[in-house]
Amino acid sequence: MIKKKICLLGASSVGKTSLVKQFVEGIFNEKYLTSIGVKIDKKIVSVKQQEVQLMLWDIEGYDRYNVFQGKYIRGASAYIIVVDQTRNSSLQEGIAIHALARNISNVPAILVFNKSDLQANWHLEDSQINQYIALFDRQFNTSAKTGNNVEEMFQAIAELTLKE
Amino acid sequence: MQKNASVQLTESQQELERLRTVILGEEHHLITDAVNEQARDIVGEVLTEALHDRQKKDGSIDKVLLPIVEASVEHSVVHNSDRLISYLYPLLGDLIRKSVGAFLSNFIEKTNQLIEYSFTVKGLKWRFKAWRAGISFTQYVLSQTYNYRVEHVLLIHKETGLLLKSVNLEQQSQNDIDLISSMLSAINDFVGDSFQTSKDGQKEQLQTVSTDSFKLLIRSGPSAIIVAAVTGNPPQQVSEQLQITLEEIHRLYIDELDHFDGDSSLFKNAENQLRDCLLTEEIKTELSSNKKPWFAWLLITIVTIFIAFAIESGYQRTQLKKLIMNIDQQPGIVVMNINVKSENDITLDVMRDPNAIPIEQWFNSHQLSFKSLNLIERRYRSLSPEILNRRVEAIISHYPDLSFHWKNEQLSLLGNIDIIKYQELTTQLSDIGITSRQLQIQQLSLDNSNDFAQSTDVNQQIFKDLIGKISTIQLNFEVNSNQVTPAMQMDLKLLAEQFRYLIKLAKQLNINIGLLLMGASDNSGNRNTNKKLSMMRAESAAIELTHLGLNRVQMFVTSLGQIDIEDVKNTSRKVMFNVIYIDNKIKD
Repeated sequence: MIKKKICLLGASSVGKTSLVKQFVEGIFNEKYLTSIGVKIDKKIVSVKQQEVQLMLWDIEGYDRYNVFQGKYIRGASAYIIVVDQTRNSSLQEGIAIHALARNISNVPAILVFNKSDLQANWHLEDSQINQYIALFDRQFNTSAKTGNNVEEMFQAIAELTLKE
Repeated sequence: MQKNASVQLTESQQELERLRTVILGEEHHLITDAVNEQARDIVGEVLTEALHDRQKKDGSIDKVLLPIVEASVEHSVVHNSDRLISYLYPLLGDLIRKSVGAFLSNFIEKTNQLIEYSFTVKGLKWRFKAWRAGISFTQYVLSQTYNYRVEHVLLIHKETGLLLKSVNLEQQSQNDIDLISSMLSAINDFVGDSFQTSKDGQKEQLQTVSTDSFKLLIRSGPSAIIVAAVTGNPPQQVSEQLQITLEEIHRLYIDELDHFDGDSSLFKNAENQLRDCLLTEEIKTELSSNKKPWFAWLLITIVTIFIAFAIESGYQRTQLKKLIMNIDQQPGIVVMNINVKSENDITLDVMRDPNAIPIEQWFNSHQLSFKSLNLIERRYRSLSPEILNRRVEAIISHYPDLSFHWKNEQLSLLGNIDIIKYQELTTQLSDIGITSRQLQIQQLSLDNSNDFAQSTDVNQQIFKDLIGKISTIQLNFEVNSNQVTPAMQMDLKLLAEQFRYLIKLAKQLNINIGLLLMGASDNSGNRNTNKKLSMMRAESAAIELTHLGLNRVQMFVTSLGQIDIEDVKNTSRKVMFNVIYIDNKIKD
């Protein structure tokens, strides 16, 4: 079976853990996140009749209290930058994390605007947003709360890892 | 001189350089081509030796060959199964026998262990300790039975933390092993980054993780991590084996590890290397291999003895019950219920005739004795011939001059008896159920020669009783017949004796007596004819009595003819008797 390591990155409270929770039922307690900075879950998806086992590394949110956990990105086949579309700052932080991650790894990256069930609250021009989106291989609007687009996003990332 | 020497040296160096160019330079293909032509011969020449040497050196040949051989056998099974079966056929019988034998000995051994750990003080202690440690009893037994046991071995890709291959001691699948691998490598990364880097730039590596019930031994290589989950206290040997295996895997799979893209199937054959790490060591003092399974044998012996005892005692009880049941064959005893609890505890419920053999006496005669005999005995009156005989025996024993025998359920009396005693005897016999119809007295001589020692009052009473008895005698004739039958003769014989005795008594009491014979008939036919028939019947009886020694002068024969009483007129074909007596004392 093909196995792929996928990392979820982003600012605090953007919904990375909730996204994974929506997608899988894991065995580890979320306490791992705060103790060693990562929690890992597993999900098998099917791409063109081939099963791909995604190991989802949910990495602790990056903020002024937490340093960027670059070590966990090593060996990943792709990573997801999650931002909260109701918080302008989370996008800025996401882009910063993307830049840091690019120093370590050159694998496909996806930009996810989470909390799509809530009203977007950008103070940004569309052209500016599109500029950010252009830095990524794919972009998705998801809602961890309703499950909207979550499956599709993970399916897309599985496909991206196989194209590589 | 020196210069010459240095020129020579330079020349030889130049020649050497030229030779090198010929061999390894542009023309080197000349050499390799020549070698390639001979390659088959050259390799063939040393192949066996080379394999032998390499195997001896590091044992890597068999591990490389194993997957090839397995693939060949698999191919053979799929495509040439018939041939394979014919090869294996002669071996199958032995294989099965061996396998069954091994299973049985393993079963006995396991049973023994189970019993040993379940019922002994040590077992209970272990159960308590397992409960206190919060682990299963089986786990605790394992931890106590083995010095150590490598349960799982994981091979993890270092960079991605993905599981490449895992092997288990027991053939059970671990669903979460992928997650555990990734988490373990994350923790390893965490440790590596969190603690101080050593002077030579090497990051700290996690070596061991210990929990209550097991230890994780971790060895990290440049591209892969090997992890062994061990119960007990693993010795250095396990770590060494992990290191050797890890190095071997790096050597064999260096390309696959460096270019790993998530396809773990490439590492399928690494199982052979990983299995080398599944080391186990039993605690010698606890379970030496030649230890006899005493507990299992003891249990089997106890169970066997118990079953044998149960069968034996059940058989004994059945036999005893059969034996006691024989008492039912005894006349006058009916067994209602027997309950044999044990050989010495018996409840017996019977019905017994007082003339039957006493139960205890029967037990004694059969050498049976019981510590606890609960006897429920109820009285009843048996009609069996043996018991009737016993009752008759008891009565007749009071009459020394009499004997008896049975013939066709008729009791024949023999010997002499006083007429008065005879009256008593018939009363007693009728009390025990023997009617006058069952009594044969042809061979009995009734004696009336007794002196009348009794007082006059007593004699008078006897006189009246006799008259009464005579008046109860009636002869029953067939239709239109006056023939005296043998049954009538019996009655007449008794009557004659009684009347003779009566004459004697009458003389003593000064009474005159006469015997009245009254013939009668039913109402069928002519009244005159009936009158005559009645007369003839009375006459026949009188003639018979005369033959029996009575004087005709003392008899008065008369005919009653038809008896016109509604209830008897159809069957009144009789001769009746009565005694007429005149007391001379009153007459005077």
